Amino acid sequence: MSSKRVSIWLSLLVLFSLLISACGGAAAPAAPVAEEAAPAEAAATEAAPEEATEAPTEEAVSEAPAAEAAAEGDVAIRWRTRPDNQEEAGVYQSISDEIDAKLEGIGLAYEPGGSEGASYQDQLKTEIANGTAPDVFWIPGTDVADFAKRGLILNLAGQAANTEGYSNDDFYAGPMNFLTYNPETDVNDALWGLPRDVSTFVLYLNQDLLAEAGAPDPIALAAEGNWDWDAFVEVAAAVRGLGSDIYGYGANAWWGPYGTWMNAAGGGFFNADRTACNLNSPESLAGLEFEQRLYQDLDVAVPYGEDSEPPFRAGKVGMFQNGRWATPGIRTVDFNWDVVELPKGPAGNAGNWQFWGAYAVNANTEHPEEAWKLVQELTQAETQAKISALGTNIPSRVSQEAIDAFLTFTPPANNQAFINGLQDNAVAEGPLWKGDWPSYVTVMDSNVQALMTGEKSIDDFAATICDEADKTFQ
Amino acid sequence: MAATAQPMQKPIKEANGWLTGLVIWHILILLGASAGVYALYTAQILLPEWVRWFSLGALLLMVPGSLGAILFIPRRDHRGRTLSLLVNYIGFLLCVLAFLQFIGVFAGFDELADRFPRSLPFFGIAFAGYLIYAFADRYENSPRRQRTIQRMGKIVMLAGLLLALLALIGWEAVPQFVQERLQVPILLLLAGGLLFGLMFWAMWRRPAAQAMQVNNARQEAIEGYLLLSPNLIGFLLFLAGPLMLSLYTSFTNWDGFGTRDFIGVANYAKLLNLTFAPLADARQPANQVVDVRVYDELWRFSFLGHSYLVAAADKLFWLALRNTFLFGILVVPLAVLPALGLAAVLNSKLAGMKVFRSIYFIPSVAAVVGIALIWQWMYNATVGWINYGLLVATNFFNSITGLSIVAAQPRWLSVSDTALFAIVVMVAWQTIGFNTILFLAGMQNVPKVLYEAATVDGADARRQFISITLPLLGPTTVFVLSTSIIAAFQIFEPIFIMTNPAGGPNNSTLSAVLYLYQNGFQRFNQGYASAVAWLLFLIIFIVTLIQYRRQGNTSYEL
Repeated sequence: MSSKRVSIWLSLLVLFSLLISACGGAAAPAAPVAEEAAPAEAAATEAAPEEATEAPTEEAVSEAPAAEAAAEGDVAIRWRTRPDNQEEAGVYQSISDEIDAKLEGIGLAYEPGGSEGASYQDQLKTEIANGTAPDVFWIPGTDVADFAKRGLILNLAGQAANTEGYSNDDFYAGPMNFLTYNPETDVNDALWGLPRDVSTFVLYLNQDLLAEAGAPDPIALAAEGNWDWDAFVEVAAAVRGLGSDIYGYGANAWWGPYGTWMNAAGGGFFNADRTACNLNSPESLAGLEFEQRLYQDLDVAVPYGEDSEPPFRAGKVGMFQNGRWATPGIRTVDFNWDVVELPKGPAGNAGNWQFWGAYAVNANTEHPEEAWKLVQELTQAETQAKISALGTNIPSRVSQEAIDAFLTFTPPANNQAFINGLQDNAVAEGPLWKGDWPSYVTVMDSNVQALMTGEKSIDDFAATICDEADKTFQ
Repeated sequence: MAATAQPMQKPIKEANGWLTGLVIWHILILLGASAGVYALYTAQILLPEWVRWFSLGALLLMVPGSLGAILFIPRRDHRGRTLSLLVNYIGFLLCVLAFLQFIGVFAGFDELADRFPRSLPFFGIAFAGYLIYAFADRYENSPRRQRTIQRMGKIVMLAGLLLALLALIGWEAVPQFVQERLQVPILLLLAGGLLFGLMFWAMWRRPAAQAMQVNNARQEAIEGYLLLSPNLIGFLLFLAGPLMLSLYTSFTNWDGFGTRDFIGVANYAKLLNLTFAPLADARQPANQVVDVRVYDELWRFSFLGHSYLVAAADKLFWLALRNTFLFGILVVPLAVLPALGLAAVLNSKLAGMKVFRSIYFIPSVAAVVGIALIWQWMYNATVGWINYGLLVATNFFNSITGLSIVAAQPRWLSVSDTALFAIVVMVAWQTIGFNTILFLAGMQNVPKVLYEAATVDGADARRQFISITLPLLGPTTVFVLSTSIIAAFQIFEPIFIMTNPAGGPNNSTLSAVLYLYQNGFQRFNQGYASAVAWLLFLIIFIVTLIQYRRQGNTSYEL
């Protein structure tokens, strides 16, 4: 046989193998899922007839032949969330395996998204545009409006209404207020997803450093009701006095930390109906001015814009402002530490945020019913408890059991500080339904940074900030 | 004569029959393609947008092509053959690609990749076959034995490859494959591909070529284009096509998901919208002189005792342009001049120079993300190595001088004054190695005889470098400068990774490409981002053009 003929036959064989493999595409990925699901299906044989009595949708009927070939009729659902570390990604994978075994007829594939620094949302948006995004994905609370307004996520209100036992009231009201807002009707009759978890800021304390500085104990001050801005400055200044490379306070440069000072002074980012800038209100400016003093006049803080976590972990920062998600990393430090709630400001509360993100369903999913089932499973109390056990976040369901369970996940010993933060009129982070959040935050971040680094005065900031920021509502 | 002429007449007669058939075929294509153009243009066929435009472009080529073929083939004009070949080639490709897509061949690549590990042992057998084949080289003096061993090697190789392929194939899916692919659209595409292929072959054959009066030069030209076509199609599909799509997108308001609303030059108008206003005094607020609902203050300046304000509808774009130019002005000399000096040093024939060349080149091949993260850590103002080094050095200096100087602790990446410069240093450090290698290659091409003659004339090393090396490095220098400037204007990754928020502090490191990215992928403004991209392209194009125009003045004929 000539080499030319051999080449031709080999080429044809390769082409043929591609064709056959392409056909196997529907079956091949489902196989491992089906294997994993098998034990659960065996255990759930009694449940199967009950499910079978549900009215089969047209989609389900059309899926039937492929489903048979996919072994045990599993509908493949891909889902994604943003883990904060590899350990958390492992827990999500195990949760996915458990739900996979539990849900009849659904095969799950968990895809850990990139971390915050890896531009999770940018990648997700690109995949949505390309039609390759997962069926269910997590998005930060601030992004819900952008995704919903553009029709990228499903309104799940219909499915929720038909789901026995489901109630919006089972979750914290702040996130649900945003998640149920319908921009078309201007009332809360939609459901864009369910919150994965919630979190608040606390101050992580280097207790060794505080003791060395002879500073008052913030936890004790908080218990006495004396933990306010003055006390905070006193502690920060005492620690700063320990040396030129020791700082009293540290926070990272994004809207979360500076927002708390504004909230605590009675201000905020937006006006009451979130349709205009409120950054130049006297209260907002008072909060920013206080924060600016920490960086400029008092010089007690890690320079604004520098990552505060490395110096805190190196034992050079007395109080580090961050959320619950930082706990796993802080647990590895080799000094005594605990947490305390943020100090109360002039408004009488700490101005904390209620951070949250939501599991939403891709508007282009071929299996909305199955995706909704997955979203519900992912937000069950026991699922959230497993994530909370890592110390990352607080369950999004309002229940004393969930809180009691969360309090046991130590260290830190003073877990109650997180709960106190939530219950102290925390402001739910939220999407901007009548504006452009990414543009708004760009304007805020750069101007606040100029303020904190001393490149702009508070008067200059006040004079121009809302002229600039209000354009993002056009 | 008659006996020899008859066999020649037969192919031409046969060709005439085919050519008549081809005319009918092109009439059908003309009608079909025209209907297709109408249906696609009026969006009566629902397809993804890019598929729609791609199909529309292909059909628009086929309509005049077929029309020309219909007109020229009966006249036996060679242009008819060319057009017919072109139309059939396009039709064949379209049908085959659509057929392969519909039957899922492209998805098959992924499946094959998933199953690849189970075929590895068989690839091992194929490799063993190659070793056997190669082993035959030992028997050059015994050709018969050599051939036998080579044949054995070939058989083992072939068997290994066949077994590997068999292992890759999911045989269990064959019945499903047959069942799912027996659909009318797929069969139609298959038939279309075969028909287009058949017609291409009919026109390609020598009798048809002779009948169409095609000479050797024309035939060679067509063959040349045919060989070029895979690359050309790839260029059109994956470079020119997206570029044109991006140009069109720049005239639309598109968020990346919905339909593109044509808005003309509105994106460009907003980007370039600047206004000037005289100020009563240097501190007069901007909202008193410009409409702040449209404009943001960009710059204030004084001239001849009067103050002026410049405001922009998109302040960030102008800041990004300013930063990009500043970055280029700083980084290009820092990346080029040290590289030239380094190349001169490394060009010497001292022991160990090859090792140093490799060392200096390493940053250029290292991943930019890794490098950026390391530099970010080094630049950390509180726990970074650079500030720690400054502290140690200052303490050491104080200890030996008895002074008490306070160590400077610059906030490299967190204040506007130093952030861009910090990134310039990192990028220059990374680029120097590559530029050094280019200069080194240029220096090694300078004829030695020139240096020998200069030495005889009494020129020292410095004079030789200035009068011989530098002038003869002209083309290399232009190339290095051009690529460095283009790379500088496209700066993105280090800023994206090292600054927080990206482009900060206070937008002092916001570059044009970063701004493009933020608009396109973070703020859902794909149309606007495309306009930024095309303006940036225009700037780079003009700068590069000037560079190459100047190249004529720097090249030397030897």
